[in-house]
Amino acid sequence: MKWILFAWKNVMRNRRRSLTAMLITAMGTAAVLIGGGFALFTYESLEEMTARDTGHIVLAHAQGFEGDEDMPMQHGLAGADQLAAEFAALPEVRAVAPRIQFSGLISNGDKSSVFVGSGVVPDIDFRLRGPQMNFVAGEAPGSNGPAPEVVIGNELAKLMKAKVGTSLTLLATTTEGSLNAVDVIVRGVVSVGVPEIDKRLVMADLADVQKLMLTDKVSTLSIYLRDTAQTDVIAARVKTEHAQLALRTWSDLAVFYQAVRALYNRIFGILGLIMVVIVAFAMSNTLGMAVVERTREIGTLRAIGTFPHEIVRNFVLEGVVIGSLGALIGMAMAGIATFALLFAGIDMPPPPGRSAGYPLLLSFSPVLYFGATIVVTLLAATSAWFVSRHAAAKPVTEALAHV
Amino acid sequence: MNPTGTTVRLTDLHKRYRVGDGYADALKGVSLDVAAGEIVALTGPSGSGKSTLLNLCGLIDAPDRGTREIAGTAVDQLDEIALTALRREKVGFIFQGFNLVPVMTVYDNVEYPLLLLGTPAVERKTQVMALLQRTGLEAFSQRLPDALSGGQRQRVAIARALVKSPALVIADEPTANLDSTTAQQIVDLLRELAHERAAAVVVATHDERMSSHCDRVLRLADGVML
Repeated sequence: MKWILFAWKNVMRNRRRSLTAMLITAMGTAAVLIGGGFALFTYESLEEMTARDTGHIVLAHAQGFEGDEDMPMQHGLAGADQLAAEFAALPEVRAVAPRIQFSGLISNGDKSSVFVGSGVVPDIDFRLRGPQMNFVAGEAPGSNGPAPEVVIGNELAKLMKAKVGTSLTLLATTTEGSLNAVDVIVRGVVSVGVPEIDKRLVMADLADVQKLMLTDKVSTLSIYLRDTAQTDVIAARVKTEHAQLALRTWSDLAVFYQAVRALYNRIFGILGLIMVVIVAFAMSNTLGMAVVERTREIGTLRAIGTFPHEIVRNFVLEGVVIGSLGALIGMAMAGIATFALLFAGIDMPPPPGRSAGYPLLLSFSPVLYFGATIVVTLLAATSAWFVSRHAAAKPVTEALAHV
Repeated sequence: MNPTGTTVRLTDLHKRYRVGDGYADALKGVSLDVAAGEIVALTGPSGSGKSTLLNLCGLIDAPDRGTREIAGTAVDQLDEIALTALRREKVGFIFQGFNLVPVMTVYDNVEYPLLLLGTPAVERKTQVMALLQRTGLEAFSQRLPDALSGGQRQRVAIARALVKSPALVIADEPTANLDSTTAQQIVDLLRELAHERAAAVVVATHDERMSSHCDRVLRLADGVML
């Protein structure tokens, strides 16, 4: 305890210099924590977005993900109801959503356009997608209407001059290779925030789509878990029990998530590295000057029996004091920024290829805060060791003669 | 004074320094024995070799030739770590410029050698307070060195040197920066404490007030003991 007290007194010996080093350390720590918090928030948002879209685990026919069908639903999944019931009974599973991916032409009688559609169970799918499916008008399709109902993307609605209640025609290829058509009524207009998707999106009741395509199969079964962290465990179990099926997890299918994560990891990794260099430089400069100024004192302490490693230890403790206090101040700054952004209501501009922005928020991660504090403190200690080791090993007479 | 044995035994010490392109002989075969409790003054003009002899005696420098025995230990084959350990236990230093640690209080400065020795806290406090009382610094124990006069600082330095009851005290011009009254007090204090604790004291000094109170006065000139 005495040694820490001496370290504190030595830190306070040149307050302005120590405070400057402390503030630089604090700014570096805060920058890393704020940058890291933003990256974590982005990862968590994209993770949730992807999981809400695809489900945590997606099951298909053994060749269902290969995309080489000669005919629609050639690699469709049969017996989906039985499988869905089996998975839905697992306590870790929140819901199971069977889906059909299909495409074709949509027409309002005057003009036609290509659509990319999904056949879904509306009660399950629209509930699971949550805020990601933004209804511009109307609501989810029902199953008991006089005609099949659909939800279409807002860009497609503009193209088709359609609104809620408008009748349109879907034309698609059946599993037998022939064309089939069905009249549908627009029940809702949605935006998923990606104009390219909103321009093609059609979502219809699964049963109606199966009828259109003359099939009882589905393309995929999406399993939604209660806890994303359990994805790998449940996926491994499902894979063992249903080895004949193809399986992908949300992270396998999250191309955008993986790309953003790789980009942000690199950007914030470089930012972290720059901060490490700045903090190391500030600490080395501050403690290096202290070592030079106190060379004679080092000689005195060495003369009266202090070992070189004890001299170095004293400087390392000073580095730890400056580094840890700087890290604490930086943590406080980052914590305040995280809290303030909750109420600031600042939105980030839409990312490339998207039409909607997202709120600027920071995730609070105890692991990140703890890790940053440890790294900064170790960095300060290492800098102190580096700059003091030569002076501590200097011949005593030389150190005592230092002016 | 009642010497109880030889604390310092220096035999035929030679020391040479590089000066520019050449060398200067600082010591040329100096020998010295100092008994426990004895105060020996080294006098002589600047450059005579006093400080060099003091450094060799205090184990902070090594001779080119000759042998040294301090407190019964032959030290010439010891490495720097062993020498430091020996200094920690057996040697106290008093410097001309006091060399107190400015961020430590008077108490902390005096306590420091005991901290290095790992003396238990209660024992440390007893020893430090006894010595501060003995040196008249009790009332200043929580002050920083900057808040003290020169004489008070040198008292702190003496207390720091003697708190661990070392076998040997090295004092380099301990009265050089003090007025005559204070210098006299410092000389008396050093003498009393050294005798009480049976410490051998080697003092380099120009000050006759200092040397006149020493048990023995040796004169050096051009690296040779006269």
